[in-house]
Amino acid sequence: MNAMIRTSLLLLLLHLAGAMVAQEISFTATVDRNSIAAGEYAKLTVTLSNSRESFQAPDFGGLVVVQGPFENSSFNYVNGRMSSSAARTWVLTGTDPGKFTIGAAKVRIGNGIMQTEPIVIEVTKGTAKPSDASESQGQQRDSNLFATIALSKGKARVGEQVVATYTLYSRYANIELSKYELPKMDGFWAEEIDLGDTNWEDQLRTVNGLQYRVAVLKRQVLFPQRSGTLRIAPIELECIVNRSFFNRGSLVKVRSNVVELNALALPSNRPEGFNGAVGEMGMTVKVDRNTVKANEAIELTVTYTGRGNLKLIEAPQLNFPNDFEAYDPKVTDRINVTGSGMSGSRSFQYLVIPRHEGGFSLDPIVFSYFDTQQGAFRTIHSDDLTIEVTPGDGGPAAQVQRPNKMDVEVLGKDIRYIRTGDLDLEPAGKHLFGSMPWLLGMGTPALAFLLFLGWRKKQAADSADVVGTRRKRADKVARERLNEAEQALRASDRSTFYDALGRALHGYLGDKFAMGPAETAAANIKDRFTAFTNGEELAASYIELLEACDMARYAPVEDRPRQQLYEQAAELIRRTEQTARA
Amino acid sequence: MKTKALLFFLTFAPLWAHAIARIEADSLITKGTRAYAEGDHRTALVYFDSVATTYASASLFYNIGNCHYKLNDVPHAILFYERALRLAPGDADVRANLELARQSVVDRVNELPLFTLGSTWSELRGGRDADQWARRSLWAGLLFFVLLSAAVILRGAWRKILYGFSAIALFGTILSIGFASYRHQEVTSTDAAIIMAPKVDVRSEPSNSSTVLFVLHKGTKVTVLQQSNDWSEVKLSNGNVGWMPPSSLERI
Repeated sequence: MNAMIRTSLLLLLLHLAGAMVAQEISFTATVDRNSIAAGEYAKLTVTLSNSRESFQAPDFGGLVVVQGPFENSSFNYVNGRMSSSAARTWVLTGTDPGKFTIGAAKVRIGNGIMQTEPIVIEVTKGTAKPSDASESQGQQRDSNLFATIALSKGKARVGEQVVATYTLYSRYANIELSKYELPKMDGFWAEEIDLGDTNWEDQLRTVNGLQYRVAVLKRQVLFPQRSGTLRIAPIELECIVNRSFFNRGSLVKVRSNVVELNALALPSNRPEGFNGAVGEMGMTVKVDRNTVKANEAIELTVTYTGRGNLKLIEAPQLNFPNDFEAYDPKVTDRINVTGSGMSGSRSFQYLVIPRHEGGFSLDPIVFSYFDTQQGAFRTIHSDDLTIEVTPGDGGPAAQVQRPNKMDVEVLGKDIRYIRTGDLDLEPAGKHLFGSMPWLLGMGTPALAFLLFLGWRKKQAADSADVVGTRRKRADKVARERLNEAEQALRASDRSTFYDALGRALHGYLGDKFAMGPAETAAANIKDRFTAFTNGEELAASYIELLEACDMARYAPVEDRPRQQLYEQAAELIRRTEQTARA
Repeated sequence: MKTKALLFFLTFAPLWAHAIARIEADSLITKGTRAYAEGDHRTALVYFDSVATTYASASLFYNIGNCHYKLNDVPHAILFYERALRLAPGDADVRANLELARQSVVDRVNELPLFTLGSTWSELRGGRDADQWARRSLWAGLLFFVLLSAAVILRGAWRKILYGFSAIALFGTILSIGFASYRHQEVTSTDAAIIMAPKVDVRSEPSNSSTVLFVLHKGTKVTVLQQSNDWSEVKLSNGNVGWMPPSSLERI
């Protein structure tokens, strides 16, 4: 605890001591005039402030010391600040005309050496008259009163800001500025910098060894509007000097120097959307909320910040969805024009009211400018903005707001787009109607129907003829049964023929009367045929035929030709089939 | 063996040729569609036109009409839209574009309004297919005969019902044949024409010395009544009749 207090006290003391030595050390050499006639005197004063070191006299460069050095020192203590200065003064004269350079005076401070600026004294013949080498530049330089125009840079791009400073230098004790005319700006767009009242600066400024009071009359930010060498005409001033109660004073006219600015054109690869912004810029896009109810307002703010010709930036073209109601933007400038140029921000505030719900996305906002630092165009894209619009309030408490019904606005007229894909091509000039396929298509069903009708008719007629039908069937049966026998007959195969014929007859009778092969004996046959109309005769024929077959099969006797036997069998079966059972 | 191959080739050569031609037409249409999409309407028109020499369809004519319209050739656009509409009377796209194209026609003759009877009737009349009724007549005829045959075979209540249905089918057949014949006549007739010349004098007689009755401008639709000795007799939809040289019109 104790130790801590002690340390802080020590720190405080150190701090005070630091404040005492922290006064800036300065070492200057001044003359009261830098142009003398031969034999006249000039006074050289070398001043060292805030240091106790002793310094050496400078090299007088051929001028003769008439008097001195006189020593003079002062010590001030104002508001806790201590300052001191020590000065030595010499009175010098030159005998021969010419230019004489007073060398640097040197003083050792700590480990370093401080020097004053060398001063050139011009010694002229006869009466001293201020003469000036820069007269030819249109600069009328009274060494007691002159004005300058200074540009912050000598080379700039078109649209890049340059600060011009108009400064008045005076050695008169009493001066009144009666009028001054600022040069007309040709090829520039100028923006005044507000400096307040024109006042003399606190510090004197040394120019070529002479000390001047300095006042900045005006500052302007200039923006070159075209490329090439742009000239700024001199500023013209009229001052009345040395006016006093006893003296009307005298009028002094002053013209400043002429300055030129080399304005470089911007590169030709201008990006789209570039409209003249030059400097160091940035853009921010802000939406106060991303989710909003329909018919409520959104504030979209686009802010451009930076250093450069901000006042030239125009409102960005925003493509809001058609369902959005957008108003003209409100422009808010926070632009400072200071000695370092134009800087600040310009913002465009859009009030947007979405009328319908849905998700909407706005196109990114694109801003292009010329970056003076990098000497190239730069393009800034904002992020995609999405706005979610929810349905508006529809509750009972809320005012019921229905969207206004409106016609779909027809913005343009154009024909509809062509057909793509399959065009249903048909061979040109061919039509189905009346063509051969069509006629065939129509005729074929009709023909088929007619054929069908004819067939039906024949069927009906056939079914009407019962006997014919039965005979036809009997024929068929006989043919089927005697098929094998007929083949054998054709082949003149005797034993096969009789064998087949016998089997056919037995088979037929067996099938007809549901008898087994063993039952087809003569007695059985007769018995079964009793039911038939002329059954006895039929039965006799069967028996006789079967016997003939057996005979021929087992004995080499053939009492009748085989053909006859075959036909007899066929006839018999046919007749059996035709004869209805009684 | 050689003869067999030759025979085979001869049998299928026409089919092959047809299929190849069809593929070629399809590729031309694809190229034309792409050119149109790229905004090169002149190239697209060349492609579509080359297809139109051998093939016809409402959509093809519609596309050609669109190309002409985009090339600022309104009379030809109208001509092709009319051709497309003749093949497909119910096509809404064709009607919309024709309506738009007609707006830039100078003559305001009382054109028959396009949307009088509604799209149902247009669809019924033929829709997008000129052979629709011919096909329908074939199906209806086949149905009629099948039903009739079934009625002949069956007995009792079924027979009566089927006779009833076949009568309906017969009516349908006759109706569709009627429509098909009407459409066929409509599709094949070349009575209607579009004025192609920027301006043409219509005269009272087929001679240059006769009185000028009225003046027509490009894009107007007329009906050609007759043609003789380098003169066409045309009729406007408002009933005016006059003679003009056929070189300044093109038949739909």
